[in-house]
Amino acid sequence: MSKIKHFIQQSWLLIISSFCFGLLIAIANAAWSPRIEQNRIYKLNRLMRELLPAAKSFELTVEMKVELAKGKRVKSNIYKALSDEGGCVGWAFNCEGPGFQDKIKLVIAVDERCEKFFGFKVLASNETPTIGDKIQEDYLGNQFKGVPAGKLELVKTGDEKRIDSEIVAISGATVSSEAVVKIINLSLPQIKEQMKEKGLIGNAR
Amino acid sequence: MPGEKQATTELYKRTLVAGLWNENPVFRLLLGMCPTLAVTAAVKPAFTMGLSVIFVLVCSNIVVSFMRNLLKPHLRILMFTLTIATFVTIADLFLRAFQPRMSEVLGPYVPLIIVNCIIICRAETCASKNNLIVSIIDALGMGVGFTLTLCVLAGVREILSTGAIWEIPILPAGFVPWAAMRMPVGAFITLGLLLALVNAVTKRKT
Repeated sequence: MSKIKHFIQQSWLLIISSFCFGLLIAIANAAWSPRIEQNRIYKLNRLMRELLPAAKSFELTVEMKVELAKGKRVKSNIYKALSDEGGCVGWAFNCEGPGFQDKIKLVIAVDERCEKFFGFKVLASNETPTIGDKIQEDYLGNQFKGVPAGKLELVKTGDEKRIDSEIVAISGATVSSEAVVKIINLSLPQIKEQMKEKGLIGNAR
Repeated sequence: MPGEKQATTELYKRTLVAGLWNENPVFRLLLGMCPTLAVTAAVKPAFTMGLSVIFVLVCSNIVVSFMRNLLKPHLRILMFTLTIATFVTIADLFLRAFQPRMSEVLGPYVPLIIVNCIIICRAETCASKNNLIVSIIDALGMGVGFTLTLCVLAGVREILSTGAIWEIPILPAGFVPWAAMRMPVGAFITLGLLLALVNAVTKRKT
């Protein structure tokens, strides 16, 4: 009994404070989490619209799991891009993988048959300012437009304007460029396969 | 009585000014070096970080000052950390909700305010020993001092690395940006030079 009394005497302030602070955080979280989620959706929609300008709206079709490494799986949401008439004009999905400093999160867009890239946009990254963060610029992004949606190869030198599966790395940011190509190479075949299994490609309309 | 009132006003003034110059957390105490080096590539994120620190500092000093007579010596650090972590979480949620771009730019450095030495130092040396008003004034002085320091450092780095300040171009179009100033090397060099300058000015004064 005296042990319990001693424990309460010593820690009552800590227990009460923990409860009060927990309540405070819960209130703040409840008040602002809808807005945080809204910000996330707004950013995702903005990036998907930039990649698929023909789309009027996006419909979350299915959630898939993509294996990045042995046993390491990440969730990927597949969005169907719909035109004014409601037809499918392409697909967009989010995916992630390790970058130079931290995780890189991408939104990748492909055509309605999943045969051609429309491009990618960076959803989140913490790559080195002025070096690795150049993956967000058009130099790398433009190289993906119209490229067949198959395996891509990163090269250090080449013609970046040529539309083929050879992606020319950003000078000084080879690791970050390689990370982007690796994320796409790893995720796209798995997404394609799962979309085929679910009958989303081919009878998308 | 008027003498006592004057002494109190003098104490408040001294406490406020201490954080701005004599005990400036960055230039004089060399505390909070992690955000000082990491988020000063541009003025906007530096200013946002400064405001977040002011909020956490003021709130934690208020709470610690209130509970100062109830604190058990061996549990005080735990209580400080708990208090600071609560307000940092609230600041982080606020930025994610209302300043999403800044929240992305600052990344993990907002949650890292929890381990910012300035805040725990002020809780230990000031708020746990002084009344509410002195604790608030101390927090404001230290917070504003920290914010100004970050902004000065970020201003120098942003001008040299982009030719702009607060994203507004101020240098002529022919200016060649110093890319190194946006990187850690730029942060260390600028901080070193500013510390040398502050030391030189302080020595001349004394």
